[in-house]
Amino acid sequence: MLMQNMYPFTAIVGQKQMKKAMLVALTNPKTGGLLIGGQKGTAKTTLVRSCRKLIYPQQIIDLPLNATEDILFGSIDIEAAVNEGVRRFNAGLLSRVDNNIMYIDEVNLLQRRLLTTVFDVMELGTNKIERDGISYEHKAEFTIVATMNPEENTLPATLLDRFGMYVDVESEMDLSNRVAIINREMAFEKNSGRFCKKYAGKTVELAAKISNARHLVKLVHISDTMIQLAAQMCAKAFCRGHRAEFYLLETARTLAALDNRSYILPGDMDEAAVFVLVHRTNTPSQEDNEAQNESNQTDNNVDEEQASERTGQQPPADNENSDGDNKDGQACSDDGNAKDENENTNKSDNDDGNQQPNMNSPTADDKITDIDKNSFVPHMKVEKKIDRFNRHGTGKRTITKTDLKQGRYVRAEIPKNDITDIAIDATIRAAAPYQKVRRKNSKCALKIKEEDIRQKVREKRIGSTFLFIVDASGSMGAYERMRAVKGAIFYMLQEAYQKRDRVGMIAFRRQQAEVLLPITRSVDLAQKCLQELPTGGKTPLADGLAKALQILSVQAKKDMDMEPIVILVTDGRANAVEKNDADPIGMAMHMAEQIQQRHIASVVIDTEADFIKLGIARDIADVMGALYYNLDGLKKENIIKIVQNISNL
Amino acid sequence: MKRKAVFPFTAIVGQEDMKLSLILNVINPALGGVLIKGEKGTAKSTAVRALAELLPAMESVHNCRFHCDPNGINYLCDDCAAVIKAHKKLPVESIKMRVVELPVSATEDRVVGTLDIEHAIKHGEKKFEPGILAQANRNILYVDEINLLDDHVVDVLLDAAAMGINTVEREGVSYSHPARFVLVGTMNPEEGDIRPQLLDRFGLSVIVKGEHEPDKRVEVIKRRLAYEQDADIFIAGYSEQQNELAGKIMQARQLLNKITVDNKLLESAARLSIGLGVDGHRVDITVIKTAITIAAFHNKKAVDLDDIKEAARLVLPHRMRRRPFEDSGFDWNKVENLLNDNA
Repeated sequence: MLMQNMYPFTAIVGQKQMKKAMLVALTNPKTGGLLIGGQKGTAKTTLVRSCRKLIYPQQIIDLPLNATEDILFGSIDIEAAVNEGVRRFNAGLLSRVDNNIMYIDEVNLLQRRLLTTVFDVMELGTNKIERDGISYEHKAEFTIVATMNPEENTLPATLLDRFGMYVDVESEMDLSNRVAIINREMAFEKNSGRFCKKYAGKTVELAAKISNARHLVKLVHISDTMIQLAAQMCAKAFCRGHRAEFYLLETARTLAALDNRSYILPGDMDEAAVFVLVHRTNTPSQEDNEAQNESNQTDNNVDEEQASERTGQQPPADNENSDGDNKDGQACSDDGNAKDENENTNKSDNDDGNQQPNMNSPTADDKITDIDKNSFVPHMKVEKKIDRFNRHGTGKRTITKTDLKQGRYVRAEIPKNDITDIAIDATIRAAAPYQKVRRKNSKCALKIKEEDIRQKVREKRIGSTFLFIVDASGSMGAYERMRAVKGAIFYMLQEAYQKRDRVGMIAFRRQQAEVLLPITRSVDLAQKCLQELPTGGKTPLADGLAKALQILSVQAKKDMDMEPIVILVTDGRANAVEKNDADPIGMAMHMAEQIQQRHIASVVIDTEADFIKLGIARDIADVMGALYYNLDGLKKENIIKIVQNISNL
Repeated sequence: MKRKAVFPFTAIVGQEDMKLSLILNVINPALGGVLIKGEKGTAKSTAVRALAELLPAMESVHNCRFHCDPNGINYLCDDCAAVIKAHKKLPVESIKMRVVELPVSATEDRVVGTLDIEHAIKHGEKKFEPGILAQANRNILYVDEINLLDDHVVDVLLDAAAMGINTVEREGVSYSHPARFVLVGTMNPEEGDIRPQLLDRFGLSVIVKGEHEPDKRVEVIKRRLAYEQDADIFIAGYSEQQNELAGKIMQARQLLNKITVDNKLLESAARLSIGLGVDGHRVDITVIKTAITIAAFHNKKAVDLDDIKEAARLVLPHRMRRRPFEDSGFDWNKVENLLNDNA
């Protein structure tokens, strides 16, 4: 497509870090590519598009979310095979991207399989193809630039780690900058040609700077001192593996080259650390912590402030979510108690207005408790019990089969059973080499035989669906209980996100239950809801369970594959119902029974902490057929076993 | 086949916000579409389908599969771009803007386009068969019950909506073409919510409710009955109003580029976003763009504070984050205060 007038790089207001990191990535492919994460509407995509002019004749090639394997890796040339009867390689996207930049927008939504293989190819520098009867190998050296909005799902740590650099962008908060952004956008839209011309001079200058730095970067000397510094920095950030040091040095080197120097300054290392270490910083385990304390005493080389600045910008996939981080400090500023020592409030001056205490209108008895992220890590283990007899029973399998036609087409395979979903492209590829022989008595150019037929393999995001029902009544707020509860839920959410599960959240307090979050894959949103969840008031437990049933039945209509798991977190002290004359606990029991009747897998986490235990939560768990855990017991066991009986769905 | 009669847009009773937001998007396709939320039977789909009658004619490249804009050099398909590169002139024709429907059951290959199977089998050649996104270029893409759309279809929709380009790398074809469309979605919130990333792609949003005044409800029934009895007569009865509105839209389209905005109003839009703590800069820009379009629709020369307020009402609600146990995520008083303070 002809895209002459893209919004110019030099016309983007502010966002210094993102621009700098981008220049580094464009200058030196060895810096390992760049991932830009951040809120919507912060010029992420605009920035990447704008680079086209800076690196010409190099190209920016998109890897769209709809990509299938055959076109990414390359495959048999159908036309040559059909018309000439020869097997020839038809280059794919990975061949086109050689010596260029690969751009992946919304990378968090791309199939993980594709992303992993793309990284493998990038690190190897060659693409080896063994498919459709073709064996081929070609050079594929490229830089990956990706953008994402972590609001819906982020990348797992293992994939984040493969990006050399990470930058988190936020909106500009300066008023005059914001006005400048509106003005420029309007001017660009009115007449893009004139707008681009205005910035053409600066663009040419910047392009020259990049090309100069590309030559210079090989000449930048890496001294032993810098290598040592890199090693120290990475050790301090508890980076896994040794990729980090390498990327750190390459990035520092590129920064020096962009500054027209042939030597690295410590300042380059600090700047590089912000890009390279942010998404690699790990929370140290207990032993590591002690080790760190020791090393802190003996080694004063690395500035304390530097280190804290780095940990202040956690990537979204890390244990402490960066978005969550920002808000943690603020949400609890309402009442000032329960501050988490590990929380970093560095960036709270950049906050997005969440501080307004009135917005949330907590009444006097309400309070918002912080998430305790350090207490413990309960792992959720979902076991799927498959009943062999029911499997072949009534109609269940047919549902799954028709459902298989949904989902994204990822690759083709030789059909094993009946053919239901033909992969026509793969079928043609399979048939192509034989056409010269077969064509003799046919009008069609292509004759397909049964053995050519390939079936589509589709991938659908089926994870479990976790519906959290959280008691937010006053009794939960007591004794810092909510902090531990939020901590437990927080970790379950983390786990859910890593497994690409979906989550929903219902909270109940005062007179009613409320759906905080309809079932979604946005764990980020769930965390925000959790963070801001106030406690106080009565315990309408029955209403909470009723809402859960309602949500699940609506969801079941939409998605037959859904395997819901209900997680009820409560102290069981139900004391409010819709109609005043009913018995709150009895109502709750009744609802629990309904959940059991629908064979919904469930877990009850009992948070009762009073000296005299009433044990109602345990009774509810029994009625619901739920697994029962005590919050304190959970701390020791660290695992929640959830048994799902698939045949029951 | 005779074209099916469509209930006239101007005959829809009430629902002013919804009608306005649709009209604004026709005047200025750069607004980013509209999401219409509401219960069943509130004329959501009727309004969108009725909009087709009001759509203006536009210049388009003759015989182009993507109906490229001959004047929009940035967004030409490969074929049209090749013509320009050869320093030839593009043949121009006038076509009507359309409403292209994306059914909820649509598969990904139909949406983005795929390998032309017939051509491959008959001629042994690869050819790209355009999908719904190709049809939607420069048109209105209408998704009824958008909240029920399959996740992977939403993904590709997001991809295309963000860039205005549909890049296809699948099933043996590799192709990209312009896909700049006005996204119009309707949904019933009772049936589940919409993904946040998709939500953000909508420039405007409106909530429709059934009319509560008995008089208006009676009027709704009367008109519907009259339409069902004899659609042709009913439509003829509204032809004058329809023409008037279509004329107003055309006029506003021409006026759009001439509207001025005072710097102070730009500041208040920016202050509004900061004050409300919304993500990113899209809100500021969309508020201003919408205000300009509203001013053009009202045949004004410059944007005033009332236009900004009206724009804010359409742009902000779906971008506010809702908090636990809060009745509404959108506090209109706060918006008014923020805007009045700056005035």
